[in-house]
Order: sequence, then structure tokens, then C-alpha cells
Amino acid sequence: MSALNNPVIAVIVSLIIAVGYFTLVDHYLMDMQGLDYWYLFRQ
Amino acid sequence: MMGLLTGKRVFSIMALCMMVGLLLLPIVVALPSPAIGEEAPAGDAAKKDGDKVEKGRDVYYKTEGIVVGAPAPKTVDGPRDYPRYNFESRVLLWFANQQHLYYGSFVLAVPIFCMIIEFMGVVTKDKALAKRYDQLAYDFIKISLTAYSLTAILGGILIFTFLTLYPAFFSYLSGIFRPVMHIYALMFVAESGTLYIYYYGWDKMKEGFLKWIHLSMSVILNIIGTLLMFLANSWIGFMMSPAGVDEQGRYLGNIWHVIHTALWNPLNLHRILGNMAFGGGVVAAYAAYKFLAAKTEEDRAHYDWMGYIAMALGVAFLIPLPFAGYWLMREVYAYRQQMGITLMGGLLAWLFIIQATMIGILFLSTNYYLWQAMGRMRGAEKYQRYIKYLVFLLACGYMVFITPHTMVMSPAELKAMGGQQHPVLGNYGVMSAKNGGINVIITTTVLSFVWYMRGNKVSTVSWAKFGNIFMGVFFACAYINIIWLAIYGYYIPANVRVGLSVPQVATTLSCLFFMFALNSFMMKGAKQMGPIEWGKISARSQYALIMLATAFTWMMGLMGYIRSSVRLFWHVNEIMRDNSPWAYTHTVGFAANMISFNVLFFWITILFVFWLGSLTAKKVPVEAKAGIPGSVPQPAASH
Repeated sequence: MSALNNPVIAVIVSLIIAVGYFTLVDHYLMDMQGLDYWYLFRQ
Repeated sequence: MMGLLTGKRVFSIMALCMMVGLLLLPIVVALPSPAIGEEAPAGDAAKKDGDKVEKGRDVYYKTEGIVVGAPAPKTVDGPRDYPRYNFESRVLLWFANQQHLYYGSFVLAVPIFCMIIEFMGVVTKDKALAKRYDQLAYDFIKISLTAYSLTAILGGILIFTFLTLYPAFFSYLSGIFRPVMHIYALMFVAESGTLYIYYYGWDKMKEGFLKWIHLSMSVILNIIGTLLMFLANSWIGFMMSPAGVDEQGRYLGNIWHVIHTALWNPLNLHRILGNMAFGGGVVAAYAAYKFLAAKTEEDRAHYDWMGYIAMALGVAFLIPLPFAGYWLMREVYAYRQQMGITLMGGLLAWLFIIQATMIGILFLSTNYYLWQAMGRMRGAEKYQRYIKYLVFLLACGYMVFITPHTMVMSPAELKAMGGQQHPVLGNYGVMSAKNGGINVIITTTVLSFVWYMRGNKVSTVSWAKFGNIFMGVFFACAYINIIWLAIYGYYIPANVRVGLSVPQVATTLSCLFFMFALNSFMMKGAKQMGPIEWGKISARSQYALIMLATAFTWMMGLMGYIRSSVRLFWHVNEIMRDNSPWAYTHTVGFAANMISFNVLFFWITILFVFWLGSLTAKKVPVEAKAGIPGSVPQPAASH
């Protein structure tokens, strides 16, 4: 836990969790509607 | 066992059983009783007589059913179908309907608050706090009691207005809903009985087991109230999206189809949330008024606290309200695309811009109140310097949210702007941008709440530093995701774009649920920088509460008008045509004036209700204690 209290590590870990979480939210919630979140990037 | 129960307990259990019985009575009454032949369907009778059974196809469910009702009347403009005074009948009905709805919403919402606050009082371990919650719940129900009588009176006026001015339409509607009309009336009786026992039994059932019985009564009261509202909603649902009838409007014998129309459930959810937000706003305004008029520090502390609780409850229901609104609109589009276009892209579109403005005002007022409220706690100063950034985010979100897609312009203005849409601002007039705007606004409100909740506390958990950084990063990523999705929407086709609103909403709700939970974990056993000094808040904050309540009232009037107007020249959409001379859509200016008049009338009458409440309050035997500055007054031992 002490390593996580290091600001740099905390920011990196937080970024990984938050970016990963929101990407999953975007992807799966579009997928559930039968839509492709990555539509533009596949063109 | 019975010997152990005191007389009070027996009485309270009997009262509770009676309420449950009242709740179930309408259902029992509604059961068909073929033994005595009362509810034998007309079709069966026809079969016995050997007549030909006429069948019809449900306009919505597409099922076949035996025709048991008369067709919708084809009205003509004249004294038979549309008797009138020397005034526009629709305006009179609008007024009666709106006032009944305001009071109805209020008296349905406040008992839900009461239930929540009374429950908080029962489960809290701090006895002084429990007593304060109990007093607050009692104050709430006291306000709603007078309003309840007014609701009933206004309901009567509304029925008389219908009968007098729109007899043909009312006769048809009451004919369709005949199988449940008596249930509605019985529910109303059950609601009244339960409310009076709940109110007058407060002191008798204030401790131990009896308190739980009392709390159970509030649950039953709210179940009855909610069912009442659902039934009333089924009428407007039927008028907008009829079901259970054939194309001539003939009832096909299935009352559940008539009630369960395409828009019934979205309307139910939207109205529950709306009523709660509205009720919270009105009680908060009451508390603000009492705060501003208070003569002692003690009173100021009490009403400051009351205003905060009411505002917090109201806003808790305001936050999911736009999402319920999206669901309703989605169902409207699914039911009739043209109806959705009339609402959001056609005749009534400009009213949605006004609605967006009002929603923005609601959230701005809430945030402003929270920032002011941080002034009453020591330690919250550290957040003050960041508030300007929240103001910036709110202002940006708000400006995008209220930007119209197109504007009504003179040819010269059109030429000067280079087209219907402004070359830059026009980009913000589309749903993709607006979804981003409102989600930024709501996320910022969540952030303000989190700051308020931790204002005077310092977390003592070992991972506090990581927790704070994680919270900051999560909010930052949420903002980026919302804005990214809004921008992304411009680059993909419309059929894919519409789906982006779902992850946007999920992002906002993630902030709400995860960050509130994380904050609660972090603040468990936190070091307090000082107590919350209730009553030590600027007068400006109280005006923000009054603004909040007024904006709620105005917006309710506006949205009710929009919802009703979308039927255009139909009493019952595509079934019964409105042939009165007023079957046209009013101008935006006229509608706005009418809504303002309704709001003004409601607030004048509710002030009268507050005044009546204050007359009762003067008789309460309050202990004459010296007020301790900054503390919350102890409530009287009895009411």
C-alpha cells in the first residue's frame, strides 16, 4: 500500500484503471446495443 | 402472546392490518364475480343470446378481442360536445389540471421523504440525531397534510371542469377506464385513511415496536400513493399512445392493455423522479423561507439543516431524471416517430430549448448552493480555489446544452449568418454535443457533492493519498470520456451515434456511484476539522434554494404542456379527434405566460399552506432553552 501512496505510481495505476474501465464501458455498452464502438477506426 | 401486547400495540397492529386491507380492497373488488353474474363479459351475454360476436383488433397490441365498448364519439363544435363560457375552455382545463398536478405531486413526494427520514431516525444510533430526524419527518408530513386537502379540492374542480367543458371526451375516457375507476376512488379513500392515522398516530407510536409499526404505515401510504399515480398516468398514457381499443376506439375488454400502453412505464418512472425532485424543491424553499424569517440562531440552524436535507433528497432524484426523460423520448420515437419529431425537431422543439435552459438553471442553482454550504464547515476552504474551474465546466456544458439547432430568423438575419445554422455555434445544436453538455453538468454536480461531503474531514485511512489521486484521475478520465464521445459522434453515422448516449450516461453514473462509495470508505473514521455550523450560511444560498424550487415548478409546467401538446388535434391520439375551436398549438409566448401564471398561482397558494402550518407550529410546546450558536435545536418531546 505504501508504494501506491507514491504520487507517480498512484497516478499511473489510477490512469490504467480509469482508462481501462471507461474503454470497457464504451465498448461493451455499444456492443450490447448491437453497435460497433470502433466503427471509425475500422473504416 | 397476546397478553404481552399492550393495548397500544394491539391497536397499532389492527390499524396496520386495516391499512393493508384497504390496500387490498380495490383488488378484491376488481376481481370478477361470475357467481353472481355481475361481471359477465358482454361477449358471453351475446353468445348466450345467439347474437353475432363482433371482434376488433387492438391498435397497439394487435391482438383480437370482443368489442365491449362504444366507439369514440365524433364530436362537433357546439354546445353539446363543447359547452363553454366566454373563455377558452382549454385554458381553464389547463389551469385546473396543472394546479391539481402540482399539489398531487407534492403530496405524493413528501410522504416518501417522510418514510426515508423516519427510517434514518429509527436506524441511527445517535439518539439526538434520531430525534432530529423524527422531528424533521414530522415537519414534512405536517406541511403535506394541508396540501392534501387542497389536492382533493383541486381534483374535484378538475372533474367538474371536464364534465362542464368537455363532456363527450370525459364520458368516453371514463367509459374506457370504468373497470378501474372505482379502484382509483377506493385507493384515494385508503390513502386518506392511512395518511390521517399516520399523522395523528405519530406521538402514540414514537418508540420501540410501535415505531416500526408506524414506519410500516408510511410504507403502505407510499405504496397506495404510487399506485394512485400509476393509475392517473395510465389515462395520459392512453391519450398519447392508446391501446386496448380498436381503431374506432371501442374497448376490447382487456383493461390491462388499456392501462399498460407504450408510454405508461416511462411516464411512471419519469413522474416518480420528477415528483420527488419537485417535492424536495418545495420543502427546501419552505425551509429557506423559514430560515430567512427566523429570529433566533436555533431556528436558523434547524431550517438550514432542513433545507439541506430536502435539497439533497430532491437532487438525488433530479440526477437520474434526465436519463428517465431520455427513455421516455426513446419510447415516444419507438411508438410514433412523427410524434418524437414534433417534440424535438418540429413544432415544439423551441420549448425543448427552454427546457434545457431550465435544467441547466436547476443544476447551476444546486452547485451554487453546495459551494455556499461549504462555508458553514471549517476545512472546506481548501476547495474554494478550485470552484472557478467547476464554474468554467458548468458554463461550457450549459452553453452547449442550450444552443438551438436552428433559429427563426428574418431573411436579412439569415443572409448575415450564411444559412439556417451558425457556422460555428450551429455545431453545438446537435444531440451529440448536448449529451456531452448535460453529462458534464451532472458530473460536475456529483463532484461538488463529493467535495461537500468531505468538506470538514480529513481521511485517516492508510491509502488516503492513493484514494485522493484515484478520485481525481477517475473524474478527469470521466470528463475526457464524455467529451470524447460527444466529439466522436460527429464522425460516425447517425445509427451508430445514437448509441453513444448510453456509455456517456454510464460514465456519469459511474462517477455518482463509485466516487460516492469511495468517498464514504475514505471518510470512515475521518478526522473532523470542526462541526458543521448549521445556520452559518449566506442568505444567498437560501435564495438559490428558492430559485431551485421555482425552476422545478416552471419546468414541470413546461414539460406537462409539451407532453400534452404533442397530441396536436387529438383528444386520444389517432382515435378521438379534438373538434373544439382550440385544437391548435399555442404560440411559445402564450404558453410561457400561461405556465408562469400557473407557477405564480401555485406559489401563492402554497405560501398560504405554509402560513397555515406556521399557525399550528405556534401551538407546539417547545422547551425554552438558550440557543447554542451553531447547534441544531432539539425538537419538542411531543407534537
